[in-house]
Amino acid sequence: MKYLPHRVAFYAGIIAVWQLVSMAGVWPSNVFPSPYEVAEDLAYGATDGGLFYGIATSMWRLLVGLGIAIGGGVILGVLMARVESINQTVGSLVLGLQSIPSIAWVPLAILWYGLSDAGIIFVVAIGAIFAVTINTYTGVKNIDPHFIEAARNMGAKGTQLVFGVLLPAAFPYMITGFKQGWAFAWRGVIGAELLFAFLGLGHLLYAARSLTDVSYVIAIMLVIMGIGLAVDGVVFRRAEDKVMSRWGLR
Amino acid sequence: MKLEARGVTKYFGSDSHKLQALGGIDLEVEAGDFVCLVGPSGCGKSTFLRIVAGLDSPDDGQILFDGRRVTETGPERIMVFQEGALFPWLTVQDNVEFGLKMAGLPREQRSKIAKRYLDMMQLSKFAGYYTYQLSTGMKQRVAIARALVMDPDVLLMDEPFAALDEQTRNLLLVEMQLVWEKTKKTILFVTHNIEEAAVLGTKIAVFGSRPSVIRKEIVNDLPRPRAGGDDSLGALKGVITAALRDPGEPG
Repeated sequence: MKYLPHRVAFYAGIIAVWQLVSMAGVWPSNVFPSPYEVAEDLAYGATDGGLFYGIATSMWRLLVGLGIAIGGGVILGVLMARVESINQTVGSLVLGLQSIPSIAWVPLAILWYGLSDAGIIFVVAIGAIFAVTINTYTGVKNIDPHFIEAARNMGAKGTQLVFGVLLPAAFPYMITGFKQGWAFAWRGVIGAELLFAFLGLGHLLYAARSLTDVSYVIAIMLVIMGIGLAVDGVVFRRAEDKVMSRWGLR
Repeated sequence: MKLEARGVTKYFGSDSHKLQALGGIDLEVEAGDFVCLVGPSGCGKSTFLRIVAGLDSPDDGQILFDGRRVTETGPERIMVFQEGALFPWLTVQDNVEFGLKMAGLPREQRSKIAKRYLDMMQLSKFAGYYTYQLSTGMKQRVAIARALVMDPDVLLMDEPFAALDEQTRNLLLVEMQLVWEKTKKTILFVTHNIEEAAVLGTKIAVFGSRPSVIRKEIVNDLPRPRAGGDDSLGALKGVITAALRDPGEPG
């Protein structure tokens, strides 16, 4: 918090410069709106309810998709780390698939699922799953072998070993995977909604573009940034800090 | 309870570059013995202990436990690791209860058993702590309590006090003797520290290295309680030191 004054001054500066440039009249206001107009659109979107509806729609798609990605990614990651034949086969495919941007799955999703929620959720899930898989794999691979030996020595077997030791021991890596997964999912859901043009924040962005409403476009982008920051910097950072310190890694 | 090692042999490395780590270890441990395995670092004594625990398998020879051959790990032979191997995601209480939970004991029973050993190791006040909040000495106490709750036939301890400062170690050496007297456990204790072996053991097995064999077994019936630095240990330490000194090996 030492740099809070710097931060406030920095953002105040940006808004001031923005305001001055827009007042200079170099570009018409329907191309380069002032911060006030953007704020006005934000307020309008909030009172009108459209913005909240958009946020809620994007969020539930994201949560379902991310949930699938986390469930599937953890299972895949544990299997890859514990069964070498799966690692050599599925593992190599995972590395390849991970290099495909989630947006590149959109055409396939549209062809398979049509313009539906399921298609968007598919894009979100497939975009996030490999980050979870790879981090879970790394986490399980990096477990202190003494943890597993001690647990087996004390009689832990099968699912007891997986849920009692493997997953908690790998958790610091897994949470990094969830964080990356969230980042991919958030980008994925907005991107997919833009292309699907079917409700959600991404669709609002698309609609505002169609109406050449530049200030509303910027307002929605600010909302997207704000939510990204809040989840990343508050939810995940706090969870990560807590896990790291408890696990004695910090 | 009777534990026997018969010609336990272990190689490390690849086929083309084999290194013999254990060159045929024979050892007999009777119920209630406190056997200290002492030897230089890297002599294979920890490997031997792991084989007894069933965490490693011998290339030749066998471990017999009450006449039955040991092929896998199990809670009748519980290992205390050098670094404790405590689970950082669990509290002290839950760490100590871990094995009982795996065995399917109900909660009340678990906490009753755990309490007895938390008290014995003077950990009651720290039951709710996580491991990052504990000193190295406290962690080893927890590791010992976690092993004792399993009521093992043999307690296998792999240099558990190696990372401790002198004062903490001396304290734990005294407590370890009390624990042994109270619980009447059979203990196999690996150390490279001659004094530790002299203080704790009823029997001391001196390991030589490359390939390691037991050079000498020494019966230690000095009166207890013993403590680090006792003058009465002097002669015994001399005998161990002499046995450790390999005439065939320079330095």
